[in-house]
Amino acid sequence: MASLHPHNGTTTTDSKPKPEPITESEIRSEFSHHDPTIARINNGSFGCCPATIIAAQNRHQLLFLRQPDHFYFNTLKPSILRTRRLIQTLINADHLDEVSIVDNATTAAAIVLQNITWSFFTSIFNPGDAALILHYAYGAVKKSVQAYITRAGGHVIEVHLPFPVRSSSDIVFEFQKALHMGKANGRKIRLAVIDHITSMPCVIIPVKELVRMCRDEGVDRIFIDGAHAIGNIDIDVKDIGADFYTSNLHKWLFCPPSAAFLYCKMSDELSNLHHPVVSHEYGNGLAMESAWIGTRDYSAQLVLPEVMEFVERFDGGIEGIMKRNHEKVVEMAEMLVEAWGTELGAPPEMCASLAMVGLPVSLGIKSDGDALRLRKHLRECFKVEVPIYYRVPVEGEVDSIITGYARISHQVYNVVEDYYRLRDAVNKLVKDGFTCALLTK
Amino acid sequence: MDSEDPRSNGDGINHVSKKPKLSSFITESEIREEFSHHSPDVARINNGSFGSCPASIIAAQKGWQLRFLRQPDDFFFNNLQSQILHSRTLIKDLINADHVDEVSIVDNATTAAAIVLQHVGWAFAEGRFHKGDAVVMLHCAFQAVKKSIEAYVTRAGGHVITVHLPFPVSSNEEIVAEFRKGLASAKANGKKVRLAIIDHITSMPCVVIPARELVKICREEGVERVFVDAAHAIGSVHVDVKEIGADFYVSNLHKWFFCPPSVAFLYCRKTPISPDLHHPVVSHEYGNGLAIESAWIGTRDYSSQLVIPQVLEFINRFEGGIEGIRKRNHDAVVEMAQMLAKAWGTNLGSPPEMCPSMAMIGLPSKLGVFCDDDALKLRTHLRDRFGVEVPIHYQVPRDGEIGSTDGDGCVTGYARISYQVYNTLDDYIRLRNAITQLLHDGVTCQMLQRE
Repeated sequence: MASLHPHNGTTTTDSKPKPEPITESEIRSEFSHHDPTIARINNGSFGCCPATIIAAQNRHQLLFLRQPDHFYFNTLKPSILRTRRLIQTLINADHLDEVSIVDNATTAAAIVLQNITWSFFTSIFNPGDAALILHYAYGAVKKSVQAYITRAGGHVIEVHLPFPVRSSSDIVFEFQKALHMGKANGRKIRLAVIDHITSMPCVIIPVKELVRMCRDEGVDRIFIDGAHAIGNIDIDVKDIGADFYTSNLHKWLFCPPSAAFLYCKMSDELSNLHHPVVSHEYGNGLAMESAWIGTRDYSAQLVLPEVMEFVERFDGGIEGIMKRNHEKVVEMAEMLVEAWGTELGAPPEMCASLAMVGLPVSLGIKSDGDALRLRKHLRECFKVEVPIYYRVPVEGEVDSIITGYARISHQVYNVVEDYYRLRDAVNKLVKDGFTCALLTK
Repeated sequence: MDSEDPRSNGDGINHVSKKPKLSSFITESEIREEFSHHSPDVARINNGSFGSCPASIIAAQKGWQLRFLRQPDDFFFNNLQSQILHSRTLIKDLINADHVDEVSIVDNATTAAAIVLQHVGWAFAEGRFHKGDAVVMLHCAFQAVKKSIEAYVTRAGGHVITVHLPFPVSSNEEIVAEFRKGLASAKANGKKVRLAIIDHITSMPCVVIPARELVKICREEGVERVFVDAAHAIGSVHVDVKEIGADFYVSNLHKWFFCPPSVAFLYCRKTPISPDLHHPVVSHEYGNGLAIESAWIGTRDYSSQLVIPQVLEFINRFEGGIEGIRKRNHDAVVEMAQMLAKAWGTNLGSPPEMCPSMAMIGLPSKLGVFCDDDALKLRTHLRDRFGVEVPIHYQVPRDGEIGSTDGDGCVTGYARISYQVYNTLDDYIRLRNAITQLLHDGVTCQMLQRE
């Protein structure tokens, strides 16, 4: 499995002496622009960006504003190239051409799926050919599938995975079942979209195994939506073996909003992939097309070198950060379930830097609306920022089943007080006899 | 007095008022201050390509960026959508659109082209358009638009008809006549013209097109829909989308309207049979209308779309507001163009009334601009050796035509000069002298190294 150490595989060594590890006080300083009144335990949604990187981004922005023509002709392309090279190393891609930088995973999905649309138009694919997605696929991905596949005549298979989940084998088992059912009646599965870490509920998916299963079952193409993955878990795209892999750099890799990479395994098909926003670079390869989609601010895509310097200030670099985030979030999650008398939604080994923590049943979370309103209530009345997941009860389950989960994140700026605040907020709500029904107007 | 605090919404009404302020207008020194981040070594006479953004607006933008970074969830749930709606409403008033639903904010004109043309692609795929149905474009359409047509029309089985407009050009009548001819020949082949894409201000060579007339001609000739690519328009010419009468109209706000990179509006006229346009980047807002879809295309920095209230404040510090800025820019660029033409013994590529805040000036034929590559080499040389930033256009002589000439031969190269509030006479003198120097040294484009 590839390490996320950025110097893997390079022959040049950094001659600078290794700096002292970053201190607690320096970390606080780096994130002093965060609202200090909020217990910010939702790094998963929008990520975070240290002050050093914001400053680096500003420098790039000013370079453009200072002399945009010079920036465009002489600076932009080499800067994006630098970012692509770093990503190539981080994810263990074979060829630089396989790595494109785009705005976010949502854009990556549009690129991959629009290509599928063309295959339907040109009758390479036939009406009724299928795309397979997880039921827990991100909302935007589901809509993208509707916009580009259903609309083009494709059939969509949703794979229901269990939650709460006890182990990876639960996932594998369900996926296998769905795959077989999907192929029943000779249906051809053209694309499988699999999350590396599902968003809601948040669970690490055993993608390598699922990819292998898909290959065995003749699925044409596999797209891994790893939006949360980079900076959260190790990514080795060769090892995973998918055709496409995307991850956001602004969630867990400290880039400003927003930047993501889309990895596309080298193949004859690669030249058919296009960015939907077409510029004069059309036809020069997806990476070139993505590097110029008209005048805009590309600065978020240019600060990865500075980010790599930033993470090296931490003990163990990005590996160290990932390890400590994971350990901390599990520790906090276990603290919370003990305080509330609930359960984790997934075992620690299926949690990355995020964890699903069962909420007390007495809170009465009975719908997505309840979850959203509770989240707002926690934000406004308790100054706690944490997304809430509503888990639909399965038929036959008893009333005492947990239907609400808090998705807690841990990133380097979090402190234990953040989680105590959540713990106490929920305890107070329970003590006061609060239910979500009280929030509906 | 409205504050610079990005959190103040302002009341929207005063921002578009043309009432002169009781306090004095922005001074020369304040303007210099606002653009002090521009490289002082460069004679920056290319506002047309990438625009410009005053320091006040950069600061306002920073305010929005920090709002998001400070508490992104709160910003996303409680602020972003209402702020974008506010921006859209201000734009609607600026361009005289009827409904705010008609106004979507996107990154740039290139994105708007993708939206409109992707829709055309779907129409072919879904059988509403038939193989061979045509899309009409101008020969000098922006390269990204040409490629978008290739990507979404040609690839889908559509036919592309190119209309050549004359350049150099002496009057609107020439444009209108050529356009009529081009459209007629399209129809002569029995093709159904599904979409015409017309520039309001062509990019290279730069000329103000009588868009309203051309739209009318399209309607008369049964063209189904008209898309006006007005990338340069807002802030440099009068924009009234109802008057122009197109189905789709896009303009970049970061070129001539002082917004940071990048932001554009796409106007889509509401009719009983409005086409179903979608943003190609699909989010959970899919199906809620283009404007709503465009306002959320995943996590990214939307701050450039939020500073429009502050931009209107900035503009109103100038006498006459945006109209005053436009007029003075136009007058100045024409004056500079005439100065240069006189110095070089050449001509303008179009009469002053067809120049916006940019002008095309013939370059001395002795420089030997004989291809696009020559033009690019000359541009690079001017930047690297003389510190002058100006795009150069190579005008292909049309068959059988000599085009413009100077005392020494055919004029095939043109400089596209821009004038924006930060420009000074010195910028154009530097260009004048650079060209004069090159002539004096006997330099031709063929001699210039490829960079």
